[in-house]
Amino acid sequence: MEQLLTVAFLTSLLAGAVTAGVPLLLAGLGEQVSEKAGVLNIGIEGMMLVGAYTGFVAAWSTGSFWLGFAAGAAGGMAVALLMALLCVRLGLNQIVVGIALTLGAEGITALLHHVQFSRTYPRLPGVETLPIPFLSEIPVLGRALFDRHPFVYLAVLMVPLLVFVFRRTGLGLHLQAAGDKPAALDAAGVSVVTTRTAAVLFTGAMAGMGGTYMANIGAGLFIPFMTGGAGFIGIVLAMLARGRPGWVLFGALLFGASMALTTALQVGGVNIPTDVIQMVPFAAVMAVLVIFGRRAKLPAALGLPYVRGER
Amino acid sequence: MSVRRYTIPAVAAALLVGLSTASAQTKVESIAILVPEQGTDYGWNQQGVDSARAAAEAAGVELIPAEGLGYGDIRPTLRELAADGVGLMIAHASGYNTAAPEIAEETGVPVAIVDSPDKLKPGLVADYTLSGHEGAYLAGRLAAKTTDTGTVGIVVSGEPPSWNSHSAAFADGVKAEDDSVKVLYAVIGPAAYSDAAGGKRVTESVIAAGADVIFGQGNGSSFGMIQAVETTPATDGSDVMFIDVIGDKSELDTGHLLSSVMWDMTPVYTAMIEDLEDGTFGTKSYAISIADDSVKLLKTPQIPDATWDELMALRQDIIDGKITVEPVFDAQAVRAKMANVSAD
Repeated sequence: MEQLLTVAFLTSLLAGAVTAGVPLLLAGLGEQVSEKAGVLNIGIEGMMLVGAYTGFVAAWSTGSFWLGFAAGAAGGMAVALLMALLCVRLGLNQIVVGIALTLGAEGITALLHHVQFSRTYPRLPGVETLPIPFLSEIPVLGRALFDRHPFVYLAVLMVPLLVFVFRRTGLGLHLQAAGDKPAALDAAGVSVVTTRTAAVLFTGAMAGMGGTYMANIGAGLFIPFMTGGAGFIGIVLAMLARGRPGWVLFGALLFGASMALTTALQVGGVNIPTDVIQMVPFAAVMAVLVIFGRRAKLPAALGLPYVRGER
Repeated sequence: MSVRRYTIPAVAAALLVGLSTASAQTKVESIAILVPEQGTDYGWNQQGVDSARAAAEAAGVELIPAEGLGYGDIRPTLRELAADGVGLMIAHASGYNTAAPEIAEETGVPVAIVDSPDKLKPGLVADYTLSGHEGAYLAGRLAAKTTDTGTVGIVVSGEPPSWNSHSAAFADGVKAEDDSVKVLYAVIGPAAYSDAAGGKRVTESVIAAGADVIFGQGNGSSFGMIQAVETTPATDGSDVMFIDVIGDKSELDTGHLLSSVMWDMTPVYTAMIEDLEDGTFGTKSYAISIADDSVKLLKTPQIPDATWDELMALRQDIIDGKITVEPVFDAQAVRAKMANVSAD
């Protein structure tokens, strides 16, 4: 067990927790905006996957991680546009369309990867980090939390930004009305369809960047199906956090930390079934968020298409 | 009179036996293989497709590869292939071993599945739970000869029987070579075969815990492991080396690929086609072995010639029976073994 008590190992575990948590944070925050506006965005997994592919291609071809994130956001938004068109504009079933978009994204990214990369499997170089003065020198915590790619800090800053938007801006009010009482929003002269479309596109951008982070920084390459359900975990985080961005951050970090804990237990040679160990992240997040988030509620019109004049 | 009395029933019996044998025997015209990822992963999927192609060509039958099917429900694909008239469907993923036997029952088209030796059904369901444990044992000996930190790691994307037997044999090989070398063991996830980010994250942690040789078993996730090996120095500052399984990733190597426990499934698929035509399909298990080179270690420039010669001598000892390597397929038994070797 002594290998668990070295600075290098503890730093690596904590850094791994952050790396695993950031895509979930982005996906969860994006989903939260969509749900707040009344759209249950099941297609977020597909948006992450397309974002992972487009983000990787851009970073690999240009050598710029930032262009990778921009392309990932664009890729996610492209899938989100379909979601908005079919579900918000045409009012089709959000769950069916979401699943179809995810399956389609899996197929197309696997095909594109096969055509382009299946004989070369190009890999990106290690990322440059931005150490935060003083904080990055704290043992273990410093390198794991405060010596990261700048995008990690931006992802965390999205949390207070969204809190501000939800609580202090007219846009936040519009989003909430679109999810709770869309007819009231419509009566106030604000387009429900436009509000929901904007929310879904924002979700696509966030999910796409989450996928890009997973491919470019988490793995350093793109592999078909590599998101492996991260989008669905993002949906769970968003639903359990029920409109509070801070809880999404907490849930994502808890999930990442639990995954790091599973690695620690295994490397330490703890002889309990791996399935039990692997259950820890899911059980921990669900238990905490169910216990502490049970008084919050989901939007009343979540998952329901809005048609003007219909009750 | 007596001759006639016995001859007629004998001829009738012979005819019946002949007819029943003829009905059990099948001329295979085409076979299909279904794989979850593209057959270009330098690993499980590619070896499956390439081996099936080689077996089909040798037997003069058509191969229909169905690639990139993912890890979900493949029943529609199986039904479509059955309707197309294939003579055998090879369901090349442990996640397919529930759906494939169901469709075999439904359509009457034989299937081959993995990791389910208890599901054999004559004429309908065969299992090819393969194990390259003898090769993994040699890989363990190689890892122990190579490590400078005195710690090696095993990273796996799941715990299917084949991976388990590799892991156990690798640990046995390490300990047989040098009992003081520690073996660390980590599973990325329950079925994290394409989780490249998880592969990188877990491998980085195992390296941080002291390992400087990683025995990695995954499909797409193994590329994440390789990325970790290439970008993370060992705790003593030296390069980390990687031992792969099933395929040959030499074309992609940047100097970190130490070896690979390579599989050739051509003899297995060839035997399946023969068994279908003989009417014995689904009555026995299939195996690969270092004796016929269907399991072998990959020689890379990173292995010194003297070390390679020692490994080949050990290989011969296994073939001659001087060294016995037993496969351990059960995940619980592997974990118990790993708890012991990591504590040493």
